[in-house]
Amino acid sequence: MTESTAAPRPAPVRPVPVPDERSAGYWEAARRGELALARCAGCGTFAHPPSTVCPHCHTADPDFTFVVVPGGGTVRSWTVIRDSFLPGFADDVPFVLVDVELDTQADLRLIGRLLDGPDAALHQGDRVAIAFEHPTADVAVPAFRLEAVTP
Amino acid sequence: MSGFSARSRVAVVGYAQSPIVRHADRPLGAIALDVARSAVADAGLRVDQVDGFTTGALLPTSGNHAVVDGVSVVTSNWLAENLGATPRYVAGFQGFGQIPGAVMMAVNAVASGAAEYVVVHRALHNPPSGRYHGNPMTTAPGAMQWSAPQGFFGPLAMIALPFNEYLQRYGATREDMAAVVTEARANGARIPWSYWHGRPIEPRDYVDARVIADPVCILDCDIPVDGVAAFVLTSAERARDLPNRPVYVSGYGMGNPTPGRLGGHWTLDDIQGAGRVVADRLRDTSGLALSEIDVPQLYDGFSPFVWWWMEAIGLCGEGEAAAFCRDGGIEVAAGGLPVLSGGGALGNGRMHGVPQMLETYLQLSRRAGERQLPSATVGLACHSSANYGGAVLYTADPL
Repeated sequence: MTESTAAPRPAPVRPVPVPDERSAGYWEAARRGELALARCAGCGTFAHPPSTVCPHCHTADPDFTFVVVPGGGTVRSWTVIRDSFLPGFADDVPFVLVDVELDTQADLRLIGRLLDGPDAALHQGDRVAIAFEHPTADVAVPAFRLEAVTP
Repeated sequence: MSGFSARSRVAVVGYAQSPIVRHADRPLGAIALDVARSAVADAGLRVDQVDGFTTGALLPTSGNHAVVDGVSVVTSNWLAENLGATPRYVAGFQGFGQIPGAVMMAVNAVASGAAEYVVVHRALHNPPSGRYHGNPMTTAPGAMQWSAPQGFFGPLAMIALPFNEYLQRYGATREDMAAVVTEARANGARIPWSYWHGRPIEPRDYVDARVIADPVCILDCDIPVDGVAAFVLTSAERARDLPNRPVYVSGYGMGNPTPGRLGGHWTLDDIQGAGRVVADRLRDTSGLALSEIDVPQLYDGFSPFVWWWMEAIGLCGEGEAAAFCRDGGIEVAAGGLPVLSGGGALGNGRMHGVPQMLETYLQLSRRAGERQLPSATVGLACHSSANYGGAVLYTADPL
C-alpha cells in the first residue's frame, strides 16, 4: 500500500439526499428549519415517506402536499450506532438514532439522530423536539433533541 | 374455513446440502448444480424427471455487490438451464421469506398439476471482498433519501430498534439473549456441515462480544457464507414410491403485507401483528392447533427473531420469551423445546431459512441421526421475521 505518500484525501461525505418530485417539499422545508410531511389530499392523513399511493385511503392519486408540522413526539425505541456501514459517519460514531412517534398522528414514525450525544439517558416515552443537522452547507437533515424535563 | 386443498398433498422426498464455508473455491452455480443433482438422486429420481424449479434468489446484503447469476446468486432459470432440464414450471419468489416463499410456490405447482417433481433450492453467497453490508454511497436518491442521510442504514440498525423496543417494553436485558445464541452455537457445533462445527461458545463470550448497534452485538448476527441446499417436492401419491419417508407440507403462512415505513424501519408492533397473522394462516391451512408442533424450528438470522417467533406461535406468552430462554426453556440437551436443534443460522452460517427447513425435514423423516428427537410429528420451519417472511408447517403423516 502506498497511501501514506498520497495527498491527503478529503474526509468522506455523508450520503446527501437527492430530492425528487415526491420529496422536494420535505427537503426545502428542512432547509428552512421546518419539518414538513406529506398529507394526502383525499383523506387528509399524513404518510411518511410518501409513496405513489396513500397508505391509508389507498387512493392512487393522493396529490400529497407538504404541510409543516410541529415535529414533537415521543421516543418509541433507539439504538447507538457504533460502527456505520455508510461513508462519512466515522467521526460521528457512536451516535444515537431515535425511533419517534410524532404527535401529529398515531403511528406516524420518523427516525433521526438524537443530537444530545451517545450518553443521553433514554426511556420509552421520552419527549423529543425536531432539530436539524447540516452535513453540508446546503443540506439540512431532520433530527431530534430531548425536551427539557420539567420537574 | 380456509379451503386450503393442498394440505398434505405435497411432500418433501429428498435433499442435499453443500458444506457451509466462508468462501467456496468454486463458483456458486457449480456448487448449486452438484447439490441439485445430489438432491434429485437422494429422492430416487433422475434430473430428466424434474419438471419444476423454484427459489428466492435474493442476495441479502445492503452492500453494493455485483449480482451475477451463477456466481453471486443462482436463479431457478439458471439452475434448470444448466442442469439440462426441460421444466414445465420455473418461478422465483420475490422479496424476503425466500424459503417459505419458494416452498409455497412449489407446493402450489405440484398440487395444481403444473409440475410433478419440483426442486426448491437456495444458494447463498458471501462476496469475496468488501464488507457484506458496507456501502460507499455518497448520494441517497429514491427510497434511501429518507434514511441514509441520518445514518439509518442496513439490517443491524433495522433489527436494533425493535430489539431494544422489546427489551424496554418487557424489562428484558441484552444478557438474556445469551441463552439463545449459546444454544444455536451448541447445536451447530455438533453438526458436521456447519461453519461453526466444533466451536460452541459460552454465555460470557456473548456478553463480551462487540456491540455494533445497541443492543445488537456481532454474535446476534449469522455469519455470511457460501452454501447451497436443495429439496425435492412431489405429490403425496408419487412420494409413496420413493425411497425416503415423505414429509408432508400441511400448511403455510406469510405475514405480508406490512405497513409502509422508511426502508428498514421495523417496529415491534408490526412484528407482533404479523406474527399473529402468520399463526392464524398456519392454523387455517393445516387445521391444527399450533400446540401440536413438536419440532418448532425458529428463524434466527438475527437472534431476537427467536423470541418473536416463540411468542407468535404460542410457545410462551407475549413478553415472556426472554425469561423463558434464560431459564433453560430452549436448551434441547436439557429437555427444552427444540427451537434451535438444527443449529439455525447462528449455528450454521447465513443459510437463511435452510437450517430450519432442513432440520424439520430430517427430524420428521427420521433422518436426523444422533440429533433425532423422540417425538417428531409436526414441524414448523420459519424464515425471516413474520412481518417480512413466514413459515411452513410439515407433518410426518398426512393430515
